[in-house]
Amino acid sequence: MSNRPIMSRLRRANPVPRPRDGDAADLFARITALPADPRLEGPRRRRPLRRRRAVVLAFATLLLAALLASTAVAVSHWIGGDVVEAPVTRHEYLDAQKQLTLPPGVEWPDPLEIGLSSEPDNSVTSRGAGGSMAVLISMNAWECYWAEALRTGEGAAARRAQAKLNALLTNNVLEAPAGAHENWTPTPLPTVPFAVFAHDGGLDFVRGTYDQAAAGDPRGVAQSCRANAPR
Amino acid sequence: MTDTLDSHTDEERFRAVFSHLGAVAAYARRRGNRDADAVAAEVMTIAWRRLADVPLDDPRPWLYATARNLVLADARRSSFVTTTETGEPVGAIQAPEVLELDPVLGVALRSLSPLDREALLLVAWEDLTPTQAARSLGINPTAFRVRLLRARRRLRAKLAGAANDDRFDPNAHFEMEAS
Repeated sequence: MSNRPIMSRLRRANPVPRPRDGDAADLFARITALPADPRLEGPRRRRPLRRRRAVVLAFATLLLAALLASTAVAVSHWIGGDVVEAPVTRHEYLDAQKQLTLPPGVEWPDPLEIGLSSEPDNSVTSRGAGGSMAVLISMNAWECYWAEALRTGEGAAARRAQAKLNALLTNNVLEAPAGAHENWTPTPLPTVPFAVFAHDGGLDFVRGTYDQAAAGDPRGVAQSCRANAPR
Repeated sequence: MTDTLDSHTDEERFRAVFSHLGAVAAYARRRGNRDADAVAAEVMTIAWRRLADVPLDDPRPWLYATARNLVLADARRSSFVTTTETGEPVGAIQAPEVLELDPVLGVALRSLSPLDREALLLVAWEDLTPTQAARSLGINPTAFRVRLLRARRRLRAKLAGAANDDRFDPNAHFEMEAS
C-alpha cells in the first residue's frame, strides 16, 4: 500500500470537511474595538522614538536574559535544570571569542566588566549564556563599525560590517518558536555561540535596521550602537 | 486623525488573518474541542493583540499553533475537573467526531503517538504543506517530513494489522500533546 491511498483515506475521513463561513462581522468588530498590537508600525507611526525604543528593548531584553537571569536558584526550575555556574559561563564567553570576530581596534570586554566572575558566586545561568553575551557584543561592535563606515563613506568597511552582521544573523542568532517559553533554548544546543531572540518581532526589527543600513541609512545601526554598548 | 488612519491599516491587515476564522474553528472541532467557535474567537483576539507576530502572508500555521495551545490548555483544565454524579467526566476532551470516522481508521489513528497523529492530520485535514505544518509545530521542515513519512508508515502498518487484531478499542479517545 503506497502513502497516497493512506493520505486519501485520511482526507476522506475528515470530520469537518469544510469550514463554516458564517457571518462573523460582529466578532470582527468586537475584536478590533480592543487595543491593537502596540508594536505595529503603520505608515504614519514610524517615529524615530519608537524605533529607538524597539532597538533598545530587543537588545536589553537579551542582555538582561543573559546577565540577570542568574541570581535566582529557582532558575533551575525554569529551564529544566540545565544551568551552569559563573565559571562555566565565563569559560563559554572566552571560548566564543575564538569563533567570533570584532572590528579592527575593538577589544572584548573583560569578563569581570560584564559580571562574569571566575569564582562560583551562588548564581546560576542557563547554558550558553556566555556565548550569547559574546554574540551580542560582536553584533553591537559591528553595528558601530558599520554606522561609522557609512558616516565617513568607507564603502569597503561598510560592506565588511554588513557581511559580518549577516553571518552572525545566519549562524549565531536564533528565534524562539512562537509561543515558546521566554527562556527557550534550542535542543540540541548549537555547537557555535548563539543568541536567542524571542518570537516577538524583535529579530525582524533588527533585520529591518540592517536593511536600512544596507540602503545607506545609518540611523538604525547608530542608535543600536549607542544604546546597546556593553560598557 | 493619525490614530484613525493607523487603526484602519491595522484592521485591513487583521481582516486577512480573520478570514481564516472558519478554518481555525474547524481545526478545534476536528481536535475534539466542544467549544470550537469560542476557541477560534480567542485565537483571533490573540492574533489581533499580537498582530506584529502573525505572518500576514501565511497566517494559518501561526493560527493553528495558537489554537492547539488553547485546545491543550482547555484539555488540561478539563482533566482536573471532577466527575459528575453519574460518574462521567465533566468536560473531558472528546474524540474528534469519532463516530463519523471509519472505525478502523479511527482506531489506527488513535494508536499513533499524538505528535505523529498531529503531523498527519495537519496535512490531511488542515491541508497544510509540510513546510507550513512544520512551522505550526515549531520544528524544521526536514524533521517534519521525516516524521510525516514515519507516521504514514506506522499508520499503514496499523491498518494492515487491524483486521486481525481484536485488541483495537474503537472507544479510545484522541489525546493531544504539546509539540
